[in-house]
Amino acid sequence: MPFQQGSARTRQRTVLLVGIAVLLAALVLAVVLASLLTHGKHEVSPKMLKWKDRGTTKNLQEVILGRCYNYITAQYPELGDKDCLKIWESLKDAFIYKNPCNITTEDYQPLMELASHPIPCNKSLFWSKTGDLVHRYTKSNQNFLTLEDTLLGYMADRVSWCGDPSAPGINYESCPKRSECESNPGSVFWKMASKMFAEAACGVVQVMLNGSVEAGAFRSSSIFGSIEVFNLNPDKVSEVHIWLMHDLGGPQSESCSGHSIKRLISILEERNLKVICEDNYRPVQLLQCVHNPDHTDCRLCTNST
Amino acid sequence: KWKGEGTTQNLESIVIGRCYDYIRIVNPAVGEKNCSQIWEAFKNAFINKDPCSILPKDYELFINLSLHTIPPNKSLFWENNQLLVNSFAARGRRYMSLGDTLFGFFGDFLNWCGQADSPGLDYESCPTTTECENNAVESFWRMASITYAQHSSGVIHVLLNGSAAGGAYPQPGFFADFEIPNLQKEKISQIVIWVVDDIEGPDIDSCGNHTVKTLETRLKTLGYDVTCSDNYKSVMFLLCLD
Repeated sequence: MPFQQGSARTRQRTVLLVGIAVLLAALVLAVVLASLLTHGKHEVSPKMLKWKDRGTTKNLQEVILGRCYNYITAQYPELGDKDCLKIWESLKDAFIYKNPCNITTEDYQPLMELASHPIPCNKSLFWSKTGDLVHRYTKSNQNFLTLEDTLLGYMADRVSWCGDPSAPGINYESCPKRSECESNPGSVFWKMASKMFAEAACGVVQVMLNGSVEAGAFRSSSIFGSIEVFNLNPDKVSEVHIWLMHDLGGPQSESCSGHSIKRLISILEERNLKVICEDNYRPVQLLQCVHNPDHTDCRLCTNST
Repeated sequence: KWKGEGTTQNLESIVIGRCYDYIRIVNPAVGEKNCSQIWEAFKNAFINKDPCSILPKDYELFINLSLHTIPPNKSLFWENNQLLVNSFAARGRRYMSLGDTLFGFFGDFLNWCGQADSPGLDYESCPTTTECENNAVESFWRMASITYAQHSSGVIHVLLNGSAAGGAYPQPGFFADFEIPNLQKEKISQIVIWVVDDIEGPDIDSCGNHTVKTLETRLKTLGYDVTCSDNYKSVMFLLCLD
């Protein structure tokens, strides 16, 4: 029936035209969106959340990858089986596109598994409020390892990262401070890594504390006091040696007989760990003397150490 | 084929990572650098060439791209005591040794070489300096040392090992052959030499004696104000750590 065919064809043509128009519109929209998204790669999209701490380190991927390869190639070749690319991907997946106040330990589980490695006994060195000194010490004396001398800590040291639900998923402008929210990518990472570092410790373990700090050398609110102390395994750890360091010429706020140290000792002993405390452990004090050589505490090395 | 170790595995990732690590974290004061470009310039110095034909000036573009100011009074030259120097310099906070500059940080403790007629790196073996002087790594450090000396100013420090066999001031040596000749006299106010013996090591050399005397004389003849001290206390403490 020619009339019906005619109108059917018109309808078909209309549908076709509309279809093409829709496709074109979709294409234009896609192009516009794509250019907006790629253009705004390192700019803050207006929807990105704003925080008080510094943002993700620029070139995070290159830094992390480079450090990973550097660690396993140049420093610890026995870890040759580690896959740095996979490790980077698992770090990225832990936080990208996520609200940075909702990070969980599950988010970091794959990374922790890929990057953890055994720590030789008697080498674990914990620390609290002695960051500068303790790392200068492990750099000169390879007999001890802090968390930042393990692969995980080495990659993450002094680096920051956080995500955001809007593209590109990484916030380079700002990241949450702990006071803004506790479950932020950095805090969750370090808490988890510290716990694992403590769990892995065996034999004699060491801890460097600061006896010149007013608030006390040992604080329950520190990572050492709240996490590491409670994750040492008494079946693996034979002794805890405390090195209580004072700033040269600085206040002697606390010593081994001090209040907070006594508290630490009782916590450890209650966990069945043997504890020894030493004021101003000499080898570390020598390091302090490098920059204050004429101080009365700085006699040149004698073999009595 | 060659007697030396091959190129360090994952060299590209390591050095690009170090470049960004340096400009973002270690020393952000140097400002923005194009790390991919720096890697390309570095690589082009030695790939596709006979690994015994690499000259210091092949690294010229690499140096130009990675150069930055060395603060006055912070230069620390050394011979035969690299680990000690690294500890003492405290990653650039107290002194800036060659290894604390971007161009030095880039290559420290790594190894590399290419091959003729191939754009690839040789991971099997690389020539040692005994096999041929003009190899990729030797020429890199020669160029880096020359540059470091040219850009040093103020009071410069030299840390020498008084227990080293053959003397504290080695000749031939990097300091003797590439650094001293490239110091810019008009920018330098004083040269301070520290001769430090290994703990319980032999006291083979010291200020005013043997090779150190040769060094002092050479520098004074060149017109520099030179002082020298033995077993500088600060550095001794670092040695006591072992």
